[in-house]
Amino acid sequence: MIDVKGLCKSFGDIEVLKGIDEHIEKGEKVVIVGPSGSGKSTFLRCLNLMETPTAGTIIFEGQDITAASDHEINKVRQRMGMVFQHFNLFPHLTIQKNITLAPVKLGLMSQAEADIKALELLERVGLPDKAETYPGMLSGGQKQRIAIARSLAMNPDVMLFDEPTSALDPEMVGEVLELMKQLAEDGMTMVVVTHEMGFAREVASRVLFMSDGYVLEQNTPEEFFANPENPRLKEFLSKIL
Amino acid sequence: MSFTESFKQNFIENNRWHYLVDGLGTTLLITLLAVILGMVLGFLVAIVRSTYDKTGKMKILNVICRIYLTVIRGTPVVVQLLIIYFVIFASVPISKTFVAVIAFGINSGAYVAEIVRSGIMSLDQGQFEAGRSLGLNYRQTMTSIILPQAFKNVLPALANECIVLLKETSVAGYIAIQDLTKGGDIIRSQTFSAFMPLISVAVIYLVMVMILTHLVSKLERRLAQSDRR
Repeated sequence: MIDVKGLCKSFGDIEVLKGIDEHIEKGEKVVIVGPSGSGKSTFLRCLNLMETPTAGTIIFEGQDITAASDHEINKVRQRMGMVFQHFNLFPHLTIQKNITLAPVKLGLMSQAEADIKALELLERVGLPDKAETYPGMLSGGQKQRIAIARSLAMNPDVMLFDEPTSALDPEMVGEVLELMKQLAEDGMTMVVVTHEMGFAREVASRVLFMSDGYVLEQNTPEEFFANPENPRLKEFLSKIL
Repeated sequence: MSFTESFKQNFIENNRWHYLVDGLGTTLLITLLAVILGMVLGFLVAIVRSTYDKTGKMKILNVICRIYLTVIRGTPVVVQLLIIYFVIFASVPISKTFVAVIAFGINSGAYVAEIVRSGIMSLDQGQFEAGRSLGLNYRQTMTSIILPQAFKNVLPALANECIVLLKETSVAGYIAIQDLTKGGDIIRSQTFSAFMPLISVAVIYLVMVMILTHLVSKLERRLAQSDRR
């Protein structure tokens, strides 16, 4: 589904990604872990071109998106949901409008269709009574669940999660992870950058370890946590587990 | 002369109150049209400038906008008004009110532009990214996500700009427009009493500004709906 070849990204003189080759299959749940500044968020943000790669190609369902026009990129992004660390809900719109804005603006659904879809999604994320409230009135965990619903309203083929629980109070992490787990069980293709090792262990089909702009090791979660090989990974796991 | 006599002399005799009422009408007309022109210009310039800041596109337009801002903010509005009337439209028979609207609108646009740009740039970059990540293009993200929030945030500053503009139009007399200020001044020159007409003019401006302030705070409260927590 997503084919990444020789991906590099620099910000000025700082090389963040130094050549990444990765292949993500449909239905896979890829969890990316690693120390801060290892480039994992940048890698994720390159996948939907929130960051423009300095070199390398990203093929999404047969289309080289690094060579795509602005219009084509917008089309690709419609099929890739993204969930942010800081939710980025639109504070001036009601929850319902937050969810329906994109599908309606992009002409994919009528307002009425989108409204029905929004209510379904709110049901699914467990917040059916919040349609008419504003984001400012929700807790962090609720905001993130709405952000996930907003992405799902576009019927994406793949969902990208950029540290979705890092900005949450500890007691709210669970509800968001639970929702992500359901999503995984429903067969969604997911790429998740996170520090939640429990989630990686339980949900991932594959765990990647990134450090200094490289993917240093990857494996099934069982092997990844039980028999790490790379010394950097061993050190990383010894610190966090 | 008693207060009543003075009042009669300044406003009732020869229907002098017409100078104030007609003048107020002219002042309000110029202000209203100039505010509209200023807002349109200001938003356009702000969008060009922040698009350049965010994406590096619209390079040439951005240069033009910067020249506009520098020239307009660097010269007094009276001088701009005089230049537009006596130089640019020198040989064109044209309504003075129209000239005033153009001059004050162009002037106000420069200040509105910087106000709106500050509103756009102060929004979290994440708002922009959220819009783009959903597949909205730059323009759609601007119009449905960025500008409504920016507008709300800069509303007090924009209201302030309207108030400034209302009062700035008092220099319209320089091109012999009979606005409110000029109206008061004409009465003064006819009756040779300064106190009554000038104080009245001041009070009328003050009341206009107070009404404007009230209306804006009402609008602000309505837009603040989403801030309830």
